[in-house]
Amino acid sequence: MNDKKTTFTSTSQYVASKELLASVNVAVALQKPLLIKGEPGTGKTMLAQAVAESLGKKLVIWNIKSTTKAQEGLYVYDTIQRLYDGQFGEEGVDDIARYIKLGKLGEAFDSDEQVVLLIDEIDKADLEFPNDLLWELDQMEFYIHETKRTVKAKHRPIVIITSNAEKELPDAFLRRCIFHYIDFPNAELMEEIVKTHYPDVEEKLLKDAMDVFYWIRSIKDIRKKPSTSELIDWINALQIGGIPTDRLREELPFIGVVVKKDEDLETLKHRTD
Amino acid sequence: MFSKFFYTLKAKGLHVTLTEWLTLQEALSQGLCNSSLTDFYYVARMILVKSETEFDKFDMAFDEVFKGIQSENEISKNMLRWLDKSDMIDEQHEEMRHVMNEEQVQIDKEDVEQKFKDRLRDQDSEHNGGSFWIGTMGKTSFGNTGGNMGGIRVGGSTGYQSAFQVIGARKYRDFRDDRILDNRQFQVALRKLRQFSTKLDIPKTELDIDGTIDKTCNNGGCLQIVMERPRKNAVKLLLLMDSGGTMIPYSSLLNELFQSVHKSNHYKDVKTYYFHNCIYSKLYKTPECENGDWIDTEWMFRNLDSDYKVIIVGDAAMAPEELYSTTGNYRGPNGGLSGMEWLQLMKRHYKRIVWLNPKMAPGHAPWREAETAIKGMFPMYKLTVNGLNQAMVKLMTNK
Repeated sequence: MNDKKTTFTSTSQYVASKELLASVNVAVALQKPLLIKGEPGTGKTMLAQAVAESLGKKLVIWNIKSTTKAQEGLYVYDTIQRLYDGQFGEEGVDDIARYIKLGKLGEAFDSDEQVVLLIDEIDKADLEFPNDLLWELDQMEFYIHETKRTVKAKHRPIVIITSNAEKELPDAFLRRCIFHYIDFPNAELMEEIVKTHYPDVEEKLLKDAMDVFYWIRSIKDIRKKPSTSELIDWINALQIGGIPTDRLREELPFIGVVVKKDEDLETLKHRTD
Repeated sequence: MFSKFFYTLKAKGLHVTLTEWLTLQEALSQGLCNSSLTDFYYVARMILVKSETEFDKFDMAFDEVFKGIQSENEISKNMLRWLDKSDMIDEQHEEMRHVMNEEQVQIDKEDVEQKFKDRLRDQDSEHNGGSFWIGTMGKTSFGNTGGNMGGIRVGGSTGYQSAFQVIGARKYRDFRDDRILDNRQFQVALRKLRQFSTKLDIPKTELDIDGTIDKTCNNGGCLQIVMERPRKNAVKLLLLMDSGGTMIPYSSLLNELFQSVHKSNHYKDVKTYYFHNCIYSKLYKTPECENGDWIDTEWMFRNLDSDYKVIIVGDAAMAPEELYSTTGNYRGPNGGLSGMEWLQLMKRHYKRIVWLNPKMAPGHAPWREAETAIKGMFPMYKLTVNGLNQAMVKLMTNK
C-alpha cells in the first residue's frame, strides 16, 4: 500500500459504510477534524488505523485518560531532568530545547509528512479539555514559551477524534468538527465485517451465530447490548471450539464472550428455558 | 446558496452557526457533493449536525426544503395530547409531523390514509379504547397502544410493530432528546463543589519547592528534590432523591441530575439513595423503592460521616400526616419517629444540606404546608441550572 491515494476506501481489514467513507473524505478535503461517535464496539478506533493504512500514512495515537491535560499533547518541559543535569555539569544544559519533549499533537504537527492523528476517547478527559485544544486544532500550531519556538504543522494532519458520549462536548469545539455517527451495522454489513476477519468462516455457523446475536440485541431487558467486536470474538470462539451449530440457540456455548453482565446472563437463561 | 435551508434548519431548532454554514459552502465549491442530492444530504448533515440526537430535526428540515412537501396532515396539539399515554408505556411525548411513505402496502393503504385524513378533520375529543376515532388502546386503525394490524400510528411508541406506517418513519427519532436540559450546564454547576486537600492517598507527583530548598540547603547545596501530592478534591457527596409518585413528571430532569453527578468524576465519593415522599427509617437503594432493597437511615448516619455534603431532591409535597405523624409512612416502617423528626436528625448529623425542589413555589407559599415547613429547616432551591448553582455555593460556603 505504498502508492499514495487521496481518497479513503474500505480496506481488507475494515469495512466502512458509504456514509462513513464520505465523512472521512469530506473531513480530509476540508481539513477539519472528524468526530466519530457510536455504540462501543462499532469500530471507532479501528477507523483511524484503516484510514492511515488506506492512505498510506503514519498513524499517531493520542489515548486520552481522565487525567490527561491538553498541554501534554503539545509538549512537556522536563525541568527536573534539566535541574539534575545542571547539578552534575552535563553537556548542553544551557540548551532548553533538549528538555522540551513534544507530545502526540506536537509530534503530528512536527512530522515531515502528513500523518493521521487519532485522539481516542476525548470524552474521557476533563470537561474543559476540548476547549483547551481549540486554537491548536484550528490553526494547527502552538508556541513553546521556553524556547520561543512556534511549532506549526508542515502538513495539516488528518485528525480523527472518537467519543463514547460519556460527557457532552462544548459547542465551540463541535462547531469546528465534521461529525459522523456510526450506526449499528445491519445484518448484511455485519456479514461482510465478519468475513473480513474470518474469510473462511462456515456459512451456517455465521448465519446461526448472527441470528442469536441479533436476537440477544433485540431483548429489551439486556442492559449491555453486545457489539460487533463481541460477535467477532464469539465466532472465533465457536470456530475454535468446534461446536455443532444446530444447538447454538438452546445451549448458547461460550456466551460469556457476548454477554458480560450477570443480570443479562440471568435474563438470557430465563428466555432459553 | 440554499439560504432557505439554513433558516429552515434554524426554525426546526438546530443551532447551525455561520461558521458551519460557510464550511458547507466550501464543501460545495470543492465539489464534494458530486452534484447528487443524496451526497449533499450526507455532507450537509455531517457538517451542520453534531449529535445523533439532532439528526431527526435535520431530516425534517431537509425534507421540507428539498422535497417541497408541505405537511398537509399536521396533527393538532390537542390530538397529540389525547394520544400521549406516555405514562402508560413509558415513552416520551414527541413533536409530530408526518409525511406519507410509499412503501410496505399490506392492506388498502390509500383507503386507510383517506379515512385518517377524514377523521383528523372531524375528530373533536379524546378517545381511548374505541374502534373508530383516533385514540389509544382500541382497535381503530389510527392512534397508538392498540391491537390493530396495519393502521397509522399517531404518537406514542410502537408496541407490536404493527402500524404499517410509523408516520414519517424517521430513523433517528429515537435519539431525540430536546426535553432534556443541557447536561453540560449541570456538570459545570456541580464543579463548584470542590475543596482541595493533599491528605489523600495518591502518588506524589508535584514538586514541593519549599521542601526542595530546605533539603538542598541541608544537603550542603547539592540538589535534593522533594515531591508532594497534588491537591485533590476532597468533597464527598450524598445524594438523596425522592422517587414518589408526584415526582414522576420530573423523572427526566432527575435522571439528568443523577447522570451529571455520576459523570463528574472529581468527587472523592458519591453515594445515592432514594426515598418515597419523605425520609424515614429506611432509605432505598434503587429508584423503584422496593421493600427490602434498602439500608437503615441510622446505618447511613453511622457510616457516612458528617463531612458528606448532602443534596436532597424532592418536591416536598407531603400530606401533613406524612410529615408529622409517627405512622405517616404508608410504604414502610416509620421507626418510631415522624418524618419531621427524621429530617431533624439529618440536619443534626450533616453540616451541609441543601434541598432541591423541581416545583418550588416562587416566594412565600403558606398553603403548601410541608414545603414551607421544610424550607424552614433546609435551604431550598428550585431545580434549575441557576438554582443548582446557588445551592452549590451554599454547600461550599454556608453563606
